[in-house]
Amino acid sequence: MKVVVVRPERCVGCLQCRFACSVVHSESKSPFTAPYESILSKPRIHIGVTTGKEPFPNKCRHCNPAPCEMACITKAIFRDESTGIVLINPDRCINCGMCAMACPFGVIRYHVYVDRRTSAHKCDQCFARQKEGKIPACVEVCKVGALVFEDYNKMMDKATDQLAFLVYLGIREKEHGKGSYPTLIAYKNILQEIKRR
Amino acid sequence: MNAVIIGSSAAGLACLDTLLRFSPELNATIISEEAYAPYCRCLLTYYLGGMLKEQQMVIRDTTSYPANTNFLFGERVDRIDTQKKYVILTSGPEISYNKLLIATGSNAVKPKYYDEEKKTFTLRYMDDAKKIEPHIRNKAIVLGGGFVGIKAAFGLMERNIGVTVVISSGYPLSMIVDEKTGWFIEKDLRDMGIDIRTGEDVAGIKTKNEVLRVSLSSGFELDSDAIIVGKGVKPRVELAKQAGIKTDMGIMVNEFMETSAEGIYAAGDCCETMDIARKRFWVNAIWPVAVEQGYYAALNMLGMKAPYHGGIGMNSMKTRAFHLITAGVLKGGEGVSLFEKYMPSTNQFRKLAVRDNVPVGMAFYNNPEEAGVIINLIKKGTSLTVDPAKIVNNEVSMMDILKPL
Repeated sequence: MKVVVVRPERCVGCLQCRFACSVVHSESKSPFTAPYESILSKPRIHIGVTTGKEPFPNKCRHCNPAPCEMACITKAIFRDESTGIVLINPDRCINCGMCAMACPFGVIRYHVYVDRRTSAHKCDQCFARQKEGKIPACVEVCKVGALVFEDYNKMMDKATDQLAFLVYLGIREKEHGKGSYPTLIAYKNILQEIKRR
Repeated sequence: MNAVIIGSSAAGLACLDTLLRFSPELNATIISEEAYAPYCRCLLTYYLGGMLKEQQMVIRDTTSYPANTNFLFGERVDRIDTQKKYVILTSGPEISYNKLLIATGSNAVKPKYYDEEKKTFTLRYMDDAKKIEPHIRNKAIVLGGGFVGIKAAFGLMERNIGVTVVISSGYPLSMIVDEKTGWFIEKDLRDMGIDIRTGEDVAGIKTKNEVLRVSLSSGFELDSDAIIVGKGVKPRVELAKQAGIKTDMGIMVNEFMETSAEGIYAAGDCCETMDIARKRFWVNAIWPVAVEQGYYAALNMLGMKAPYHGGIGMNSMKTRAFHLITAGVLKGGEGVSLFEKYMPSTNQFRKLAVRDNVPVGMAFYNNPEEAGVIINLIKKGTSLTVDPAKIVNNEVSMMDILKPL
């Protein structure tokens, strides 16, 4: 199962993902007409700023088991079995606010987006786009690689490889001292290779 | 394996779904004394307010379940034979089980003046809501300032019915929040047009021409079409007690949700589990906790040995004027320090209770976005990395808390 993985250390806070998200979830799906629609489409990804002014992209993690799904009293929040995406059915939502209470990441907002009724609003990992074989809009527009659409286990494997190699370099440097081949270049080369896999 | 579930609400249904998810070939029987398709109890106040219809409250489609799942609606369990592993229904049949889940839930507390003849009702089951509905025309009294009471009052107000809430303590939601948070709720409810009478109780009820004349302890008299009592709930433990299962306030369970009898599990409002904020066993009769317990009970019924570390009492109430989220214990205790801040321009109020740098309780008024993060810290027992005073002052971003996690 592919998920959107967030790498906050790469984020520069350009908010392009927010823009793309609102456009994709609008009626017309066009950046020129979306701002003039009667129900304004709201972004489903939030870029928080820490006190150190570092941006932090925050979006639904589609947890399993999902606390919001457990807390939902009307069964408006459900999981799509084939993709594992947690979705909200706005017709069933009664705007009780239970999901915001249960969400450990604080990503659920309340907006009017269907039928002029306020209902819970969160990332649907571009469910409609994925059906068409496209990747989520926020990932598509992210220029710095802070948002990656990747199989979670594969992502973890890559991270493990990187860490393992870093540890190996450290040990080598400690035992043999600085070699003729600078460690940093060696590290970069290996990272390139891991990326290509 | 034969799995039998008594009760088809939050815990029972969560358990059934989890059982079927991990072992679809299992024979499951789910027994409920109510003759309706599984519905959500928390929505009864919305039903009373005319915001939802009956079919909108149904949360599971019973026809979508596999053939080896048996639904018995409108049946009551008479007793449990723990030796031979049988459940005996009042109507006669005996059902054998390998694993049994008791999710009997809780009953509304009925005061001494409870009398359906005198149009005094509790609101706990679908039948109750159906009984109340025809009586209400233009005036109603709600007794009790708990979540059920205030939500019922709000629902009725949406139907343009004059509501009076009679609260015996000094402020609404006195079991959950502290006095200061209570004031904000009281003020906003009054602004919405709900009449609130605190520190009073019902002294006597007289009937006259189909209209109730209620006299309060202060001598004030009120007219009403019906009275709805929301004075809290009490775990239903009679069935378990009869079967010789250890009970206290609720049914006692270990961390694997198993009761003192082998193969019998309990979950939901009827059982007593660890309260993380209180650090003692406690009955948290709320929907999300019941679902969580049902989930863990199902895992353990399948032999997975998944320990449940306990939950916390938390609740969310959203009306047109405010959104309140509370969790844990707010009233100060030993070693608990309180931090609070009111922001008048946005009508926001934040309160945080901290014990040894670990948050144990919170109340967020009108800012729901960041409440979940703090509730998660309370649940996990994680110590704060930032100054709690800065959190309530909105000086630190929630991202400072989220980022290191």
